[in-house]
Amino acid sequence: MAFQNQVLFAKDSVYVHINVQDTKDKDAHIAGRVFFLNKPEGYFVEWKAEDVLNLETTSEEWDVINYKNDRDGDSVSMNAKMDARRKYNISFDILDLKSFKRSAPNHGWAYIIFILKDGTTFPALHFHNGGSKALLKELENFIYIRRSPNDPRLFLVKDHDPEQLSQSINELSLFTDSSGAYVQNFVNDSKHGLSKKFIKSPYTTTLGGFSKVTNFLRDVLMTPENNQHLTRPQSEVAELLHDDIPGMEISQLDEPGFEMITKTKLPARPAVKRGDPLSSPQWNAFFDAEGKISKVEDLKDIIFRGGVDPAIRAEVWKFLLGFYDWDSCSKKRTDQRKRKVDEYFRMKLQWKTISAEQEKRFSLLKERRGLIDKDVMRTDRTHKFFAGDKNPNLQVLYDILMTYCMYNFDLGYVQGMSDILSPILVVMENEVDAFWCFAGAMERVCHNFEMDQNGMKVQLSQIHKLMQIQDPELCAYLEAHDSGNFYFCFRWILIVFKREFHFHEIQRLWEVIWTDRPCSNFHLIISLAILESEKSTLLENKFGFTEILKHINDISLSIPLEETLRKAEGIFLQLRDYKKLPVSLKEILGLHPPAHLPASQSMENSVFLGSASNSAPPPQPVDCPTLVAAAPTKGVSRSASGGDLARGAGGAACSANVARSVGMSARYGGGARQNNGAGGGGSNSGATDDVQKVFT
Amino acid sequence: MASRKKVLLKVIILGDSGVGKTSLMNQYVAKKFSNQYKATIGADFLTKEVMVDDRLVTMQIWDTAGQERFQSLGVAFYRGADGCVLVFDVTMPNTFRSLDSWRDEFLIQASPRDPENFPFVVIGNKVDLENRGVSGRRAQGWCHTKGDIPYFETSAKEAINVEQAFQAVAKNAMAQETDVELCSEFPDPIKLSGDNNKPQGNNCPC
Repeated sequence: MAFQNQVLFAKDSVYVHINVQDTKDKDAHIAGRVFFLNKPEGYFVEWKAEDVLNLETTSEEWDVINYKNDRDGDSVSMNAKMDARRKYNISFDILDLKSFKRSAPNHGWAYIIFILKDGTTFPALHFHNGGSKALLKELENFIYIRRSPNDPRLFLVKDHDPEQLSQSINELSLFTDSSGAYVQNFVNDSKHGLSKKFIKSPYTTTLGGFSKVTNFLRDVLMTPENNQHLTRPQSEVAELLHDDIPGMEISQLDEPGFEMITKTKLPARPAVKRGDPLSSPQWNAFFDAEGKISKVEDLKDIIFRGGVDPAIRAEVWKFLLGFYDWDSCSKKRTDQRKRKVDEYFRMKLQWKTISAEQEKRFSLLKERRGLIDKDVMRTDRTHKFFAGDKNPNLQVLYDILMTYCMYNFDLGYVQGMSDILSPILVVMENEVDAFWCFAGAMERVCHNFEMDQNGMKVQLSQIHKLMQIQDPELCAYLEAHDSGNFYFCFRWILIVFKREFHFHEIQRLWEVIWTDRPCSNFHLIISLAILESEKSTLLENKFGFTEILKHINDISLSIPLEETLRKAEGIFLQLRDYKKLPVSLKEILGLHPPAHLPASQSMENSVFLGSASNSAPPPQPVDCPTLVAAAPTKGVSRSASGGDLARGAGGAACSANVARSVGMSARYGGGARQNNGAGGGGSNSGATDDVQKVFT
Repeated sequence: MASRKKVLLKVIILGDSGVGKTSLMNQYVAKKFSNQYKATIGADFLTKEVMVDDRLVTMQIWDTAGQERFQSLGVAFYRGADGCVLVFDVTMPNTFRSLDSWRDEFLIQASPRDPENFPFVVIGNKVDLENRGVSGRRAQGWCHTKGDIPYFETSAKEAINVEQAFQAVAKNAMAQETDVELCSEFPDPIKLSGDNNKPQGNNCPC
């Protein structure tokens, strides 16, 4: 081998956290080493899991580094584990680095998230034994880094010619002397001294010899405070923009020369606190002598605020997902359950008894069987519950999905459904319970899976509409970068963030969403909250359509759940209290008073509302034509092609669906009415203390 | 350091659910295989730098969901495609029969300038499996009727022929790019000032 990789920096005890909260899981953190290498093809940052490194000691790529091979793999499970390890391997040319995010200063282990020019975003590297600063300092010899003026955790890499630059930096000795200093000090310095010197006399002795990099340096060093002479006078800018863009205003923020377009009209965001999960004693205390839940709304408030203790999840979810009625007593539930068991096995028998001969003439069923077969084999196989060959739980997953085809033949099986089912089955650990809870969960999202994808289109456009008010700047940016269709949120919406969070987190998130609090379509606000957290990264990296999509795909499993929920509720409160919130947005959030339907009972009679499902926009069908198109009833007539059997099985199931979902809608409708009362800023008379309690 | 502009080729992988689109992409780009890739939802891409006829090319390979109903949104990702890889599973004849509609739909939605000569490649994947359902001759025949589309039989699992198939689509896409390529032939001037010194090429479409 002609050229050996030169190791410029190496640090062990650098971890990728694949399971943030489950500390009992010994595989939650993958130990690894980070390297900064001079390779024949360029300068590379790499991270490899220790296990993988141990196996690779003989590989030529790594022959400069010798590690002791102290652990041997044991058979099959080891292979699967190594697959998972390799999945996280990181390697990139520093010329492809666009930016990186650092942890907040008070965050336990320091971490760095590297983001590449094409939007690729690597999992956070946690430096358990220090070394993050040292690595960055090393990188600084080759790339120019500046801190984002808008997000103190975000650092941007300036495009450059590396040879020219490293030369210039070496000669300038900007960084080499400052002991322990890295980017932050540099930025601080630049604010106060260095940059001013450069800007005031850029062509004098200091930079005289480096005319080639002058423009570059000016870009880098020009923090907003320094560039006032380049911008229009504030008054002029304000005049130019004022009134042209409704809902936007220029705020000066006391920083001369720094204009920021903000949505000033939304009220300030209130601080939001999350609570503890519903505990087992709390849960038991809600039941009266007959086994009836006494204060359903209070119960839902607790669940919304903190989720549910995993120990009682299976029982609580049965209520949240309509397996049991909220107002049922113990006896009624016993009957309900018995009926559901019979009903399930009746439907299961339907597909089980279709012979291979029959299926030859039943291509639709055969096609669905094929899809389910494929997806069952690749659904959450790294989770303990589904891991390993011939895992019997795979068969249960399969049987439930096949039976769902009989329950809702018109919809059948669509990819993504196995993702919805998997966390439910893990919680229920019982085929029948899991099926009915899955059916209840599907009731909320079935319009996502319809043939014409209209349900998806409606929701993506609703995110757009909400963002226009909530963050016009980000909205305008996305529109200008071919992303106004919000297709990059497609996976989020289709399977309700299933792939974006760790398993235990998605269970928490879903139970929060299933309370239908604090408004309808809260999942859309959650999308806004996540996007707000990524705003600086998207804007300052100047990401376009493809990079935005890539980045959003790659932040999967690194989104902080509780922080996101707090932020989302804060955004909701802002929107709710915004006096000029357009009616169309109130409708999306269920804040519009259903004037013509005063009592929840009337809503229960409306099949239309029920079938539109809980996450679809609430009343006022006149003003909301999209709702009509999204209603499953339309899909029924269009996509029914399975013949008489389809109609029989699907039809019966559908009516049961509608009945249950109407019940849920009615409850949520009542809540929405209350919300509106509280949010009307005094103009509506419906505000009650009861409601206020929910949001404080 | 080469100052020649990099060329970006956007390649879309299409085919029925479960034929191995994600596996092929990962095998080609990252040289790894797992039988646990989740069903693709939405769209994603990976990039890989390759040499094509002495040119450094960045391939941006797009992987989309295979189920038919998701295509109405998938089309947003077809725009600007330079090449398309049509994949079927050699053990599943129905996935082969779908190629027609995948190809037609792509041409309608991406509306390339020269649909007759658009660089397609057809991949019959999973040749490592024994229960073969589509013969090579049959697949070749179909490719022939569609303007001699290059045909490759691959195994993403065993890394058979994957490199060659993608190399072929890159090469053919590059051949189509000659017009655009002209302006990249000029090395970028070193910018001494803030002016935009564009290369002074004749009839340069950029």
